[in-house]
Amino acid sequence: MSLFEMIIKNSFRKRIRFALTALSVAVAFFLLTLLAGIDHALNSNIGGNSQFRLMTSHKVSMTQSLPINYQKKIAKVEGVKAVTYASWFGGYFKNEKNQLAMSAVEHTSYFSLFDEYLISQPDLDSWKKNRIGIVIGQGVATEFGWKLGDKIPLSSSIWMNKQGSFSWEFVVAAIYQTKGASVDDKRIFFQHRYFDKSRAYGRNNASWFSTQITPEANLDLITNQVDAQFNNSSFATRTTSEQVFIKEQAQQFADMAMVIKVVLIAVFFTLLLIVCNTMVQAIRERLNEIAMMKALGFSSFNLIKQVYLESFFLLSSGAFIGCLLANITLSQVQKLMSNFLSGITIDPSYYFYVFCLVLFAAFICSFFPALTIKRLMISNTLGAKQ
Amino acid sequence: MMNNNIELKAINKTYQKSKNSTDNQVVVHDNFNLKINSGEFVALMGPSGMGKSTLLHLIGGLDKPTSGQVIIGGEQINNLNESQLTRWRADNIGFVFQSHHLLPVLTAQANVELPLALTHLNKSQRKHHAATALSLVSMADRAKHFPKELSGGQEQRVAIARAIVSDPKILLCDEPTGNLDRKTADEILSLLAKLNKEYGKTIVMVTHDLKAAEYASKVINLETYTYDLKAHNVQEARL
Ligand SMILES: Nc1ncnc2c1ncn2[C@@H]1O[C@H](COP(=O)(O)OP(=O)(O)OP(=O)(O)O)[C@@H](O)[C@H]1O
Ligand SMILES: [Mg+2]
Repeated sequence: MSLFEMIIKNSFRKRIRFALTALSVAVAFFLLTLLAGIDHALNSNIGGNSQFRLMTSHKVSMTQSLPINYQKKIAKVEGVKAVTYASWFGGYFKNEKNQLAMSAVEHTSYFSLFDEYLISQPDLDSWKKNRIGIVIGQGVATEFGWKLGDKIPLSSSIWMNKQGSFSWEFVVAAIYQTKGASVDDKRIFFQHRYFDKSRAYGRNNASWFSTQITPEANLDLITNQVDAQFNNSSFATRTTSEQVFIKEQAQQFADMAMVIKVVLIAVFFTLLLIVCNTMVQAIRERLNEIAMMKALGFSSFNLIKQVYLESFFLLSSGAFIGCLLANITLSQVQKLMSNFLSGITIDPSYYFYVFCLVLFAAFICSFFPALTIKRLMISNTLGAKQ
Repeated sequence: MMNNNIELKAINKTYQKSKNSTDNQVVVHDNFNLKINSGEFVALMGPSGMGKSTLLHLIGGLDKPTSGQVIIGGEQINNLNESQLTRWRADNIGFVFQSHHLLPVLTAQANVELPLALTHLNKSQRKHHAATALSLVSMADRAKHFPKELSGGQEQRVAIARAIVSDPKILLCDEPTGNLDRKTADEILSLLAKLNKEYGKTIVMVTHDLKAAEYASKVINLETYTYDLKAHNVQEARL
């Protein structure tokens, strides 16, 4: 009779009770796993570099431009690591219905700040050298069937070039992949200096500046300093952190997640009570046997270990079922919401967390039974009288 | 163990009825002395509440005296700590109680094997030992049965097999036939007598049953018992 067999046999003494308790554990872990999936999606949308990026645009309207030399001025603020800028192109392909998320970007710095767009070094180098080159997302390449080297005419609904045409000439110089499912793979970037030289008006201006700050820098302080600098100029600015920006969109989800979290704490508390109660009852029913085992020479530690493993088995069975069901559910949810909220997956490290949680809960649930076993007086329990 | 003599010297056992009052003490044994020699089969008798079970618990290291010495095989066990006592019990004592306390989830074989989990024996050795113990109590054919599939007498036989499987020199039995009918009780008692005679087990058995006492080599009645310190002789009780 191995220890493992013993645990299983003891666990299944009261099958229905075991099943019901495991089921309540499963419900708790089902909810926890769902939340973890949604949390993961939220965090991957607001995580990474964007936490430390600021966005500076015209105080009044996003559609108004700012002078390019703001780049150097912003860079002087303490705590700023790098500044880049970009302008909205308002591009479309052939027909205005084929709107493109296209912007001109400062080619030397942009992609080192926005490292969520993955471009191979040779492609990036060749794009930097190619004045009319565009970097397109894999999504765009797939949708239109564009390949590296393709000559593509793209039109702007805003910008006329020096030839008096709204149609601009481009060459596909690089295709970017995305870091994580939450990054947009349908964007198009081209060089701001080409944009500036070729457009008929509005030169030396950019739509917005993106600022990367050092991790230890004070976000609010920098935001205020940047805006204060330009407050009295004719181009006052409004600086926000990207995190805030995206978080606002995700706020509804975050609120929902918060509600689930509160519910979950209640659920786990109840769960602990249920499993504790089950274990206390299970041990109480077996006091005679436990006293007998003590008399036979089993130490309290040995018997407590068995109770701990039994709690662990009960909790982990439930946790396993809960996580499994949640995984199936999440993959369905992800299919339904792929356009809305992407990145709903479970990080492998989550399972380690669940494991630790189960270990800990098993500890809590075997605490009172352990006390009972420790204090159990064999001579009182195993009297001749029954 | 050099010998298996059981010696109780100047034992005092007092129970506190409630924690906050001091006068509420129950003195079960006061300056109690007893010597049981290796190889004896002693029946311990006396009215209910005289402290028979208490004595058995003291001898088996399940309980400690308030004062006095418990010396088993030359070793003074009342000074051992909890875990030393636990270890000591596993090595030296087999218990049989009125209720068998077999684990319902285990077969007879597995129940008998249970104490061997504390030894260094490997799996096949454990199987072998348990099978031997079961055949000794004539239960070999029921090895695969669960307790609920056995009769009261058969359960008690399995419990005895469990008590002897790790080959302790001393068997302590608290009313082992209390739940059984006459015929079954006689079978169990013959079995104990056999273990005493043929296998040299020292047995101390608490019983209310005069017929049961007949199987023993000596009877001690606590009601009339006095201990002759000089002679070291235990006075035979009048039955
Ligand atoms: N844990 C305890 N706390 C208080 N008193 C106790 C305790 N255990 C036993 N006693 C008392 O000690 C006395 C002796 O008890 P014991 O069980 O040894 O008697 P016994 O001779 O075995 O009786 P029986 O024949 O009924 O089994 C009794 O008066 C009992 O009430
Ligand atoms: Mg008794």
